[in-house]
Amino acid sequence: MNDTATPLLDVRDLCVRYETSGASSWRRHLTTVLRDVTFRIGAGETYGLVGESGSGKSTTGRAILRLADIGGGAITFDGQDVATMGRRTPLAYRRDVQAVYQDPGASLNPRHHVGRAVTDALRRHGLGSAAERRARAEEVFVQVGLTADHLTRYPSEMSGGQLQRVAIARALVLNPRLIVCDEAVSALDLSTQSQIINLLMDVQEQTGVSYLFITHDLGVVRHVSHRVGVLRAGELVEQGETKALFEAPLHEYTRSLIAASPASHPQGRDERRAARQARRRAGVGAA
Amino acid sequence: MTTSTIGPNAADTSSTRQAAGLRQLWRRLRSQPVTLVSTLVLLGIVAVAVLAPLLAPYAPEATDFDHPLSGPTADHPLGSDELGRDVLSQLIYAARTALLVAGGSVLVAMLIGVPLGLVLGYKGGWYDRIGSRGMDIADALPGLMIGFVVIAILGRGMLVLILAIGIIFSMNFARMVRAVTLTERKKLYVDSAHVTGLPTRDILFRQILPNMVGPLAVQGAVFLGNAIKVEAALSFLGLGLPESQPSWGGMLRVAAEHQADRPWMALPPGLAILITVLVLNLLGDGLNDALSGRRPVRKRARSAAPVPPPAPAAVADDARAAVLTVDDLVVVADRPDGSTARLLDRVSLQVRRGEVLGLLGESGSGKSMLAKSILGMLPPNVYAEEGSIRLDGQQLRGLPEREFAKLRGRKLGVVFQNPQGNLSPVHTIGQQLCEALRANNELSRKQARARAAELLELVGVDDASRRLGQYPHQFSGGMAQRVAIAIALAGEPEVLILDEATSALDVTTQSQVLDLVLDLRERFDMAIINITHDLGVAAETCDTVAVLYHGELLEVSEVNALFDDPSHPYTEALLAAHPTAETELDRLPTIADKLTVDGDWIRK
Repeated sequence: MNDTATPLLDVRDLCVRYETSGASSWRRHLTTVLRDVTFRIGAGETYGLVGESGSGKSTTGRAILRLADIGGGAITFDGQDVATMGRRTPLAYRRDVQAVYQDPGASLNPRHHVGRAVTDALRRHGLGSAAERRARAEEVFVQVGLTADHLTRYPSEMSGGQLQRVAIARALVLNPRLIVCDEAVSALDLSTQSQIINLLMDVQEQTGVSYLFITHDLGVVRHVSHRVGVLRAGELVEQGETKALFEAPLHEYTRSLIAASPASHPQGRDERRAARQARRRAGVGAA
Repeated sequence: MTTSTIGPNAADTSSTRQAAGLRQLWRRLRSQPVTLVSTLVLLGIVAVAVLAPLLAPYAPEATDFDHPLSGPTADHPLGSDELGRDVLSQLIYAARTALLVAGGSVLVAMLIGVPLGLVLGYKGGWYDRIGSRGMDIADALPGLMIGFVVIAILGRGMLVLILAIGIIFSMNFARMVRAVTLTERKKLYVDSAHVTGLPTRDILFRQILPNMVGPLAVQGAVFLGNAIKVEAALSFLGLGLPESQPSWGGMLRVAAEHQADRPWMALPPGLAILITVLVLNLLGDGLNDALSGRRPVRKRARSAAPVPPPAPAAVADDARAAVLTVDDLVVVADRPDGSTARLLDRVSLQVRRGEVLGLLGESGSGKSMLAKSILGMLPPNVYAEEGSIRLDGQQLRGLPEREFAKLRGRKLGVVFQNPQGNLSPVHTIGQQLCEALRANNELSRKQARARAAELLELVGVDDASRRLGQYPHQFSGGMAQRVAIAIALAGEPEVLILDEATSALDVTTQSQVLDLVLDLRERFDMAIINITHDLGVAAETCDTVAVLYHGELLEVSEVNALFDDPSHPYTEALLAAHPTAETELDRLPTIADKLTVDGDWIRK
């Protein structure tokens, strides 16, 4: 499932720099937010990317989506160099690579019916007549557990879980091969979160889509990912099979991240707390 | 009373304005009498302008050389000018001119300003740098001068005047649109549109533009008024419209020539300008308020159930150990249609000294409303209707705000979710800490400062005395939350309420803050109420956990018992839905699995 001869997505030595000066300054200040990040995602695979805020995990996703400029290294999607595509992103790439974001409300235009998110995408890619687009939108809404009635709702009229289903529908309707899920379930209540996670996994089973699953939640990433990478301050400190990485983390940072994550049962919490405090006194893994 | 429970914010979370909110907008506008009156007056002016030929007794240019400069007479209710033209008729026809010029020039200003602002705000970089400087220069030029130049080149006339005023105002529109675009373009729906592959043109005009209809409408209303003023000024100077075209400014010019002998002549056009501009400005304000959802809060007299007398001390053996006791608390919210919704339904719980009580629930469970009831910080139109809240035997329900203010800080401390939002951005940490300290203790400035440094050190802020002089933005999220805890502790409260206090923090920071809270609990021997949606946080920190769901308290259990053997199916479902190692790559059970089709819980 992973690391086949040609992976779907091959990220090699990726660097991203941001311009940090405002409009009132003439000089350009560059800050490096990603440094030599290398990983691959195979077809039908879920690659989890964990890290704390500022670690560059969202930037990695944005670079793959061509929303952030690539400052160095290469991103290859299905053998195609993403960095040299030029200023305009080919529509074929847009069709193949989609995204689902954390805040489902914010990722939908508050002034449009949610159905338009789906039909606009189809129209832009020249798929079908108006009637066919509407039919396809209905189909994909049903696929994500909504009904045709939901097509004409406004975002403010729907719950967070429903909005995230719309966002997934928008991503799915173009039959992508990779979906970047940037904290896609982090803002949801636990009960809704589990439904959306199930939906994402069902979709993967049906369509063989790959996921880049970006999250700060170790529990979620452990549940959904085949392989996991740990980012810290723009560098990938460790990556590997999910089970192996969580059971025998090699890097000290991964260990401290796991130690800091709240456990799912109170048992042994005093020992855990003592261990954390000892770790802090020793001055390792402190953020 | 309807008793259906809704989420505490279900009604007003839709801060996003969109078309579904048009009805709401209208409702808000209706509740503003000033706006309503302004609208009616404006409609009246428009009607007069449209129906001018029917309403005016004379044609505007019709002269009556027999009665020049007459005062108000039966023939000329508002008098006549030096050529014997009827002032009333001129006034009516001039309304046409004013509205045409105002409407036209705002349209021109929008046609130039909106696309310019959209492009500058969206493109950023060099476009924006050069464009913004250009706007600065254009703004620095006196508007009237631009008007003079345009008129000097193109000559006088209605269209030229519209163009001139439009150009003067276009920069204001460009500036506003640029500012809104700058914030909108960072929003995720714009990213999403990119990922869909929409071209820039569509993103600008079909995605971003609809989201600034509100501010544009407000700006438009205000500038309609300004345009009328500029038109009047230019016509007054004899630069605006040809003499033959009736205009308020032109009437003023004629009046000015006869200021000494016919002082009343300035009144009709002057008042017309004043009223028209005033109603447009008021309308703009009203629109702005309605769009931003500000509305005068109407206090409703409520007949709350009488506060029960404090339980006799002898009976309340249990209550003596408890610092805070909540009994049968009912909190309701007024709905816009006059009914009420129950946000908390007969909730009873207590917390003892040295105990950490977790309030666990998802959004809409009412957990934050419970905290706000205890703190006396319920939003307007939400009331604690029945039951009691006792802190050290003192009844808190129904306590006036003045009394609550004394308790907060001294007996009740609170830390909210957003670390930066907990702190005032314009005061140093030291000022805020000292203020909290001096409000609750008799301390001199110097003593307060020393104690503040001590507290900061206690919550784990290194180099405390130097950092006292810093502002909140100089602190990271975790550090800001530590400061918020220090402020909450300043009055040595008996109950510390953490309202999702660590939810916005990274896991390593979260674990540090939570460990700190546990240390402090031991040190201060206070009761802690930890409100969270996170099962892990509850497992790691709480002694007792209360589970809330849609305003109902489903169970209160000792923490180990809760995780080992939850007594309510909802808790069980919540535990099962928590993605952890044990459920790797399996389907997660969901809450729906625990409900029958009728919405009843399936008990094991």
